[in-house]
Amino acid sequence: MADEALFLLLHNEMVTGVYKSADQGEVENGRCITKLENMGFRVGQGLIERFTKDTARFKDELDIMKFICKDFWTTVFKKQIDNLRTNHQGIYVLQDNKFRLLTQMSAGKQYLDHAPKYLAFTCGLIRGGLSNLGIKSIVTAEVSAMPACKFQVMIQKM
Amino acid sequence: MTVHNLYLFDRDGVCLHYSEWHRKKQAGIPKEEEYKLMYGMLFSIRSFVSKMSPVDMKDGFLAFQTSRYKLHYYETPTGVKVVMNTDLGVGPIRDVLHHIYSGLYVELVVKNPLCPLGQTVQSELFRSRLDAYVRSLPFFSARAG
Repeated sequence: MADEALFLLLHNEMVTGVYKSADQGEVENGRCITKLENMGFRVGQGLIERFTKDTARFKDELDIMKFICKDFWTTVFKKQIDNLRTNHQGIYVLQDNKFRLLTQMSAGKQYLDHAPKYLAFTCGLIRGGLSNLGIKSIVTAEVSAMPACKFQVMIQKM
Repeated sequence: MTVHNLYLFDRDGVCLHYSEWHRKKQAGIPKEEEYKLMYGMLFSIRSFVSKMSPVDMKDGFLAFQTSRYKLHYYETPTGVKVVMNTDLGVGPIRDVLHHIYSGLYVELVVKNPLCPLGQTVQSELFRSRLDAYVRSLPFFSARAG
């Protein structure tokens, strides 16, 4: 689909652009990842406003996470999250076995160390979406074998 | 019926990828020179075909064959050239070569931000998918026949 390719190519160029315009020191202390995450945060805030303008209020936190896994992920990446795990104490793990932004990169270990750069924007996306739904959180991502990856959401109790 | 080998060139003559499946005889020259020779020959044949064509040219150079093998050629508007050597029992395979370009090269190399365009493809995923695709073709037989 044309719109999928557009977002994918734009996202890839964005990551390359942020890294190119950064100095050596910034690359080393993770400032670039933070920049990408903040971009995703702002985009996530806007997206969630659009997607939920007609839905009813959410019952609880778990309901919100399920919305993120199903409707939000489907609208952005055209598929659902494959696995949601929680410890019922504010930690959720979202597992996507075939993450759309990584499928073209490799199927296994090649390019593994570059993968976090391409996940930072999506972490921000989740964090921004949750923040506009009233949940403060920290989102991190880890990938052991592409294209599967896990997003870990830690809810901050205010 | 079998596939011998496959070359992928970009617009400037850089060999993006080469794989072989059943090649009984090597060219006797280093690989770099072999790629340059192949590219130079294709370039010359293309311009020859268009100049000497007795009728209006539609598709241009498609394939050539000898008594032992057939070379199939496919070029995209962006200048990417897919060249496949098969044995003689194989008919026109334009759609196969087109799929190698659109379904494999574009999907896995162009859309991969870590594969710089204009250089030999390093992506393992591309290599393995291409290998699996060629092996699944109806005219590919595992026996070196």
